[in-house]
Amino acid sequence: MEEVDKILIHSLRQTGTDIGEDVESVKQFSSELIVEAVVRCLRVIDPALGNGLSPSLPPGMSARFRLGMSLAQACQDLGYKGEIGYQTFLYSNEPEIRSLLMFLVEKLPRESAETSDQPAGKSVLLQKAIAAQIKAQLALPWLPPSCRLPLHYKTQTPGPSYSFHAQPLSVPYSLKGSSKKQPKEVREYYRDYLLPVTAQPSQPISVPASLLENHASELSAAQEWENEWNSQGLLTRLTPEEYRSRKRARLQKRIEEQLRSTAQPRPDSHSATRSTSDLAEFLNSFGGTSAGGNVLTKGTRFTHTEKFTFTQEPEKAAQQMAAAANSLPSSHQSEEDLKAQQQEEISGLQQQLQQLSVQIEEVGGEMRQLTVSISQVSDELKQREVRNTEKEDSVRVKKQTIDLLPDAENNLVKLQSLVESSAKRVVHLASQWEKHRGPLIDEHRRLKELCSNKEMESSRMLSEIKDLHDKIRQSADEAKKKEGLYKQLITEYETLPKDVSRSAYTMRILEIVGNIKKQKEEITKILSDTKELQKEINGLTGKLDRTFAVTDELVFKDAKKDESVRKSYKYLAALHENCTQLIQTIEDTGTIMREIRDLEEQIETEYGKKTVSNLEKILEDYKAIRQENSALAAKIREG
Amino acid sequence: MELSESVLKGLQALGDPVNFDMNKFTTLSELAFRGLLSSESEAVLDHPDLKQIDPIVLKHCHIALTTFILESVKQNADKSTVSSCLEDVRFDTERADALCTLYQVKYGYLKLIFQLCSLKQNKTDLENLLSSIDKCPPHITDVSWRLEYCMKNAHVHKVNQPSYLISFSVENGDNGRSSEEELNFSCTMEQLQDLVGKMKDAAKSIEKAMQL
Repeated sequence: MEEVDKILIHSLRQTGTDIGEDVESVKQFSSELIVEAVVRCLRVIDPALGNGLSPSLPPGMSARFRLGMSLAQACQDLGYKGEIGYQTFLYSNEPEIRSLLMFLVEKLPRESAETSDQPAGKSVLLQKAIAAQIKAQLALPWLPPSCRLPLHYKTQTPGPSYSFHAQPLSVPYSLKGSSKKQPKEVREYYRDYLLPVTAQPSQPISVPASLLENHASELSAAQEWENEWNSQGLLTRLTPEEYRSRKRARLQKRIEEQLRSTAQPRPDSHSATRSTSDLAEFLNSFGGTSAGGNVLTKGTRFTHTEKFTFTQEPEKAAQQMAAAANSLPSSHQSEEDLKAQQQEEISGLQQQLQQLSVQIEEVGGEMRQLTVSISQVSDELKQREVRNTEKEDSVRVKKQTIDLLPDAENNLVKLQSLVESSAKRVVHLASQWEKHRGPLIDEHRRLKELCSNKEMESSRMLSEIKDLHDKIRQSADEAKKKEGLYKQLITEYETLPKDVSRSAYTMRILEIVGNIKKQKEEITKILSDTKELQKEINGLTGKLDRTFAVTDELVFKDAKKDESVRKSYKYLAALHENCTQLIQTIEDTGTIMREIRDLEEQIETEYGKKTVSNLEKILEDYKAIRQENSALAAKIREG
Repeated sequence: MELSESVLKGLQALGDPVNFDMNKFTTLSELAFRGLLSSESEAVLDHPDLKQIDPIVLKHCHIALTTFILESVKQNADKSTVSSCLEDVRFDTERADALCTLYQVKYGYLKLIFQLCSLKQNKTDLENLLSSIDKCPPHITDVSWRLEYCMKNAHVHKVNQPSYLISFSVENGDNGRSSEEELNFSCTMEQLQDLVGKMKDAAKSIEKAMQL
């Protein structure tokens, strides 16, 4: 029984029951402990059932009784077949409690087997790590700042902290495309002027933040590209570079269209004309360079032209100013006159400037108009030229017919024969064409079929490739998961207490099984022995009966003749009777002995039920209930 | 540990003995650690040993190495994770190069692993560096209180209500300097009870998080 009790106590401790170290067998369980153990087990087995019950025994007698009743009911609901009632918990006896606890422990769900199959996610692992950290930090006592050791500094001093501030980094490689395409200037910049990344952010503390951010963005971009490529890119049957360039062209076209639609010159707004013309210029450059090169160089070209157009005018103005200054009359005049003159000059010059700028704008407008008209005129010219050649052709034909008119009949005949021969030739050519066409069409069809076949095959292969990709990804994921699980299990295994209980249990079980086998053998031996004995006894009794009957007959025959023989016959009968009595007595003693043993066992079991102490307890409880009742009655009377 | 393609390429270039022999490799890895840990990092790559290497490759390798170090500290990677990660990277070089150079490469990585894992000081310094990127709420270190009893005010003749004047002394660690401040406020009894209840709740939820 000790083994069973140890296992029971172990599993009860696992359910959260607070069993003291000195408790080693079910015999030592108090009523409180029994109630707590049963309630904890019920909570684990069926939370809905167990949560209504309190694990501690209430002080009031009637409440205890009620708790006992509900516990018994719950156990019966779970399917406990044995005898159970409030007395099982309040006035316990060892075997009943043991069988009840064994039943409950068997009902406990085997959670460990289920949980170990599923790998814990990253978040669970993280939470576990966080929990471990919190545990470690809570284990340290808090100390005022002046008493802190270096050990406490990490967790208890807030320490210097900075906000996460990432800055864009310039890195010496391009994320897309190979490095061979880099222009020479960019390479030069990378080689000679680019600072190492750790020196790039303005504050050293944002170096790690920037690097981490940079890496994360690279990772996510790669992931996004992978997703897009797998979902859309593969179906287009292009190489990744082609797909990328096509996508870029599409986007560029879209941007251009958008810009064009907004850049339509509106007649109502005069101020906007300047910016729209800039935009149009930009659009032209955009369209012009979209064949090659990337957006950045286009942007710079645009800014260059912009700069050029804007800087031209001030330069011109400065030249004119210089010219005006040279032509100033160098006469000596009073300051006021000088000032007034200067003012006049300035205003005059400003007017001139305005006039000039207006003129420039006008000229510009004219130029634009003129270029438009030039293009129109050149278009017209081309059209006219085309029409001219057409007319020349018709004139030549007519001239030839006029030349043929004088000798009309001959020429007619000639012409007819010519027509006939050409008709023949046409027929001949047609037949020849038919001859050639037939096989060509056949071949065309054949090739078409081949083409469609190939297309089908390629699409099949594409789908296969896709499947393969999926499979690869799946198996990679699985492998990762399994690896994670393996690591997790290993760490779990390492953290587990190195308990030998399992092997010890199995050893014990094997021993017990061996013992039982031995006992069984012995029992069968004893049984066979008893059977043999029984047989012997039966044989002996039969023999005795027969000998007695034969002797009896012989002696009885002789007894009629002889007086002494009659006496011996009497003795014989008496002997027989005495012997049977003796045997009877022996048998009776055996049964009585057996009865005595039975009774002794019964007495032991009764002793095991702690009847005396339970009776005392019942008496006490009875008194308590009476006291409660009287108190209640007194209360009622008072009320 | 996930690494982006550019970092992988940089590490591969780093493992290539054509670019880096043992001395240069150790110099660069030391420089990478120093560049992260010390504040003045202007002349990181001006070391005389590294003069012969193409600056573009050198800068790329430097970025890759620093990112790798930061990532592995961020993930709290142990020795086995780091070494398996590096072995994955080395695969291409292994195929491309002859057997003899492989030894050097391997040795270099072992050196790096050694620096990453065995030199605890580096790792804890880096952990401190990363954990300093944070918003830290002020810590309450001490509390003092006074009971105030209001008998009447300008509007009501009889108020007779107690209130508490509470002063928390807090430790503040924002923006790189730690300072002590006082936080004063007054509250009624119910508010004080509410505050105490919330604090108890917070303590309980921490304990709950601990038992996960």
